[in-house]
Amino acid sequence: MDIRAILLIGGIASTDAAERIAGVPIAYLDALGVPVVQRLMRRLRHFGVSKTTLISDARPEIAAFKRCAAADHHVRCLEAAGEEFWDSAEETFQYYAAEGADMVVALRVGPYVEIDYEEMVQHHLDKRCTVSMAVDSQGGSLDFFVLDPSGRFDAKELFQNRLQRGRKECEAFVVTGYANRLQTAADLRRLALDGLLSKNAVRPEGREIKPGVFLGRGARIHRNARVVAPAFIGARSKVHAEALITRGSILEHHSEVDCGTVVENSTVLPFTRLGAGLDVMHSLVGFRHITQLVRNVEVEITDAKLIDMVPVSPISRLAGSTAALFTFLPKQIYRGFSAASQREKPAESPECTEPGGSALTAPVLEAPASGVESSEFPSNLAVMRRYGDH
Amino acid sequence: METISRPVVVKRMPERMNLKQARKFWKEVQPFLNSDRPQVVFDMSQVRHIDAAGIDILLQCMREAVKRDGDLKLAALSPQSAVVLELTRAGRLFEIYDNSTAAVKSFSSFLPNALRQLEPQAAQGVMPMFAPQPLSSNEDGAGVNLAA
Repeated sequence: MDIRAILLIGGIASTDAAERIAGVPIAYLDALGVPVVQRLMRRLRHFGVSKTTLISDARPEIAAFKRCAAADHHVRCLEAAGEEFWDSAEETFQYYAAEGADMVVALRVGPYVEIDYEEMVQHHLDKRCTVSMAVDSQGGSLDFFVLDPSGRFDAKELFQNRLQRGRKECEAFVVTGYANRLQTAADLRRLALDGLLSKNAVRPEGREIKPGVFLGRGARIHRNARVVAPAFIGARSKVHAEALITRGSILEHHSEVDCGTVVENSTVLPFTRLGAGLDVMHSLVGFRHITQLVRNVEVEITDAKLIDMVPVSPISRLAGSTAALFTFLPKQIYRGFSAASQREKPAESPECTEPGGSALTAPVLEAPASGVESSEFPSNLAVMRRYGDH
Repeated sequence: METISRPVVVKRMPERMNLKQARKFWKEVQPFLNSDRPQVVFDMSQVRHIDAAGIDILLQCMREAVKRDGDLKLAALSPQSAVVLELTRAGRLFEIYDNSTAAVKSFSSFLPNALRQLEPQAAQGVMPMFAPQPLSSNEDGAGVNLAA
């Protein structure tokens, strides 16, 4: 059976922040080392879908992420914005129908759904309908449709109405597998975390170096850094000295965690660099933005000392690394000559030849002068804070 | 014993706390911090953007206040400032209150409240951590100087 797929990314109002993080569609972002859209394409191929067309309304500035995400030669990629987006979907359907496809699957990402495609196609055939729709257990649409190539008008109506309603009532197929609507940063974090905890089919792209800790290819962890399971360190990521990665934290590929930073129950998106000595907790960080999942707040961080972007282009990364390598030694030499010694001279240690008897029997505090309350504290006490107004 | 309450300065922080704004802000608050035992509250409700320079100024203010035996408290944190304070670990160094009023009250009410909590313990024979003193005659009478 010749089954083809139309994969739609976006298609909702561009002003709507849903399904995007810092303007990048969630579908293009990684979940445990592989972009969500690529995972869906793999899944489609696994169930025998022969050809796929990817239609996206993403802006040109995120082209690099699109290239990374849709690095699949078997997929035809189209870019279309506004009304053209849905027109392109309709044209693709007509094209597949004309080519003699037996069935067309249209899905919007949007939601990530683990559907048993064989079951759904069988359900579609059994019901003898032109359009079948996947729904969750509450009856909500998961933007996943199986279309019969003969039902061109039904398909046209469906695409014109942005998958919201068809010409006639669609046959519903209730999905019992894992479903995640991927509308917010919290949803992306949950998808990856569920994968890490084996609650869905999202498997970490890397090898398990110890129980629950997965390491991508070329990732580097400093020997003084600590990684607590479950955790995922993506390909070519760097974890510097004294950093702590704990409680289901996920570092996607090409991310970097500087010295002493704690990453707890958080996701660091690709090409993100966290500065030294930070506390990243219950958050999703990337594209110079931090989304605090507990407070549900997204904050832009423009200070490169805190959160920065690693260049997406490999040439820029190589140039940066080379420059850093050449400047490292001169910098160290200059510092060695010019900077004053940071070491403090040790205080003269008291001689311990005397027996401790006199020291132990001496009063800890000298009594203040009788009748007069001293305004000054004894010099041998460090004053932290004084309360009261007298 | 009668006590004389000292004023609490409430200063509203600007919307942006980058290097330029932070320096300007530092010049504005320096006179308050240079007084004897300064009691300062920074209202951060309008802060929409704060970077490392802004955090540095906060720590500098804290240092100056503590050096003169005073205190600096933060109030009404905007979500943005709360996230950055947590991210940079600076939040744990400050006393943080929901609003400026609560922060101002905390300067005068901390000690008496603590004593009230200790009184029942003392009655049960538990040794208080410090000797109780007579309550201030002007418990909530801390003067407030709005320097916004």
